[in-house]
Amino acid sequence: MPGHKRIAVMSPQTRLAHSRRRARGRWRVPKLDGPGADRALVLHRRQLRLAVAPLALLFAGILGLPLVFALFPGLDDIRLLGIPVSWLALAVLPYPALALLAGWQLRRAEKAEDTE
Amino acid sequence: MILAFAVAPVVLITLLIGLRGVAAMRTTSDFLVASRRVSPLLNSAAVSGEYLSAASFLGVAGLVVKDGIGALWYPVGFTAGYIAMLVLVAAPMRRSGALTVPDFAEARLASPALRRVTAAVILVIGGLYLVPQFRTAGLVLSAVSNSPYWVGVVIAGSGVAITLALGGMRAATYVQAFQFVLKLVLFIVPAIWLLIQVSPQTREDALNPVEFTRFAADTSVEFRIGTTLELNGERWEVPQGATVEFAAGDEVPQVVGEARPGGEGWSRPLLDIADADHPLLSTWALTVALALGTMGLPHVIMRFHTSPDGRAARRTAAFTVGLLGIFYLFPGIYGVLGRVLVPQLYLSGATDTAVVALPAQVDTGWPGSLFTALLTGGAFAAFLATSLGLLLVVSGAISYDLLSGGLRGLRVTVVVAAAVVVLLALQAIRLDAGVLVTWAFTVAASTFCPLLVLGIWWSRLTVTGAMSGVLAGLFASSGAIACTLFGLPVTGWLAILIAQPAPWSVPLAFLTMVLVSLRGRPPTWARTAMLRLHLNEDREQTPADRLRALRERAQSSQTNRN
Repeated sequence: MPGHKRIAVMSPQTRLAHSRRRARGRWRVPKLDGPGADRALVLHRRQLRLAVAPLALLFAGILGLPLVFALFPGLDDIRLLGIPVSWLALAVLPYPALALLAGWQLRRAEKAEDTE
Repeated sequence: MILAFAVAPVVLITLLIGLRGVAAMRTTSDFLVASRRVSPLLNSAAVSGEYLSAASFLGVAGLVVKDGIGALWYPVGFTAGYIAMLVLVAAPMRRSGALTVPDFAEARLASPALRRVTAAVILVIGGLYLVPQFRTAGLVLSAVSNSPYWVGVVIAGSGVAITLALGGMRAATYVQAFQFVLKLVLFIVPAIWLLIQVSPQTREDALNPVEFTRFAADTSVEFRIGTTLELNGERWEVPQGATVEFAAGDEVPQVVGEARPGGEGWSRPLLDIADADHPLLSTWALTVALALGTMGLPHVIMRFHTSPDGRAARRTAAFTVGLLGIFYLFPGIYGVLGRVLVPQLYLSGATDTAVVALPAQVDTGWPGSLFTALLTGGAFAAFLATSLGLLLVVSGAISYDLLSGGLRGLRVTVVVAAAVVVLLALQAIRLDAGVLVTWAFTVAASTFCPLLVLGIWWSRLTVTGAMSGVLAGLFASSGAIACTLFGLPVTGWLAILIAQPAPWSVPLAFLTMVLVSLRGRPPTWARTAMLRLHLNEDREQTPADRLRALRERAQSSQTNRN
């Protein structure tokens, strides 16, 4: 009966690694129908435009924070609850900031796909 | 004892899983429907579980002990990479249907030659990533059980190879997600216990670092490798395997070429690679490499394929940023406590064992042993999860892309690849896990990052362009790393750019790819091949699509009733 063959549960990687051979050797010229192509073109442009701001923010953050540390060594001496502010800015601050950035970009990218 | 209680269960369970211990048998359709319904949150826990390797669990804290607070830039880079992944790669890569970068290269550019070149790059990245996993596993095993280093490496390597050869990871996504939760608990709970247990004086010392110049108590240091120490201008060769006793109050010798922990610059939140005295440039070089390298890591890319569509893949990347952020709040705690309690590890080059060495310093009774066992178990879970995924990808690249063997070929390749990694790891005891892993990121950033970014977003990319860019990035980055390994005598900013070549090798690869592509002409279908990656497939386009989706839904609800 179809659908009742029993198979071993394995990790996705293992399953994919085992089935790799079957997937090979069937390259076809990619095709897109008219409306699909138009829509893909719009989405490509839109997502490309949306990608600029989060990447700029990301690199401003990971390149800017070291610059701040280098320019203001005094941050090592200011303490919050006994911990140097510069330590907190490196050990704690980046993670919520990155999570917010991820959430923001996720919403924008999904919205771009939802609108016609 | 610790070996028996912590490592044995983890290795045994992995082996049992390999021998279909939890290979719950289900019907094909059940299984396929279940795997198509993997939620992004579950999948991102699985991605994080796979991503948090020995370098994250042990390496970051070890580097903090040795190099200072600046080493906390490593986990920031490890997390930032998923933002780049989310923005540029996750959804289109999933839509391409490719499992690996070689697959992507063939799907997008239709070039078997490029497939083979990218497979070779996977070997370089996989090697650089696997060697530190095996090395650190061996180091931890030998540290907690007092066995020689090679025994630890061989046990770790055999465990992974046997598991994979016997049947691979027979664990569904939820098991890998559970792995992440396990690692998180085994890392966070001991950290909090340590913070509570240490004396107020230790907490005070941890926040006010001073150079490690005199031993606070009688200390015995075991040298697993020969080291040259220096004290008051006198050099002192310590032979391999020697154990040296230092009395309380003795002056601490210096390892030649490395500053003592806690000294000047240790408490600065910048990283000074190669002690070149350009901390800002060093930190920039590191963060760029990590942020751009993540998207090219072969074992991570493969994981995204379990998402049902591009949208879910993008969500997975976003959630991963949050989950990793929770874990990475804690390595710093082990690092600053380690500098106070176990700074002598710096002498024998074993700072990577700082995390597992800490509980015994705080409590000599059974709680100390218990927490050592918990941390060792967690470190092993981290090592196994990453190594299994990577070894599978490396073996897949060899047996499918480079040779063309079948499943049997894959199994033989796994054993051979593991043996090669064990041999390399035996030579690599001196190299810190964090540094080697960062080189893997650097090679990925210089090869796969431009290939994926331009392949996904630029329709004019040609096969020749992609090929020359990948080769230029590969030779530039691995050449610079080889120069560092063989100790090229350079100093200053040049030393940083050799030890951490990403700031010039990544632009070089991008430029080569763009310039060579512009001189050629892409095939007529290139534009369609690229645009296809941006079309969101979750929207039902044609009536036929809608019908198919409807039929699928009906089928799955029928299966549920059964």
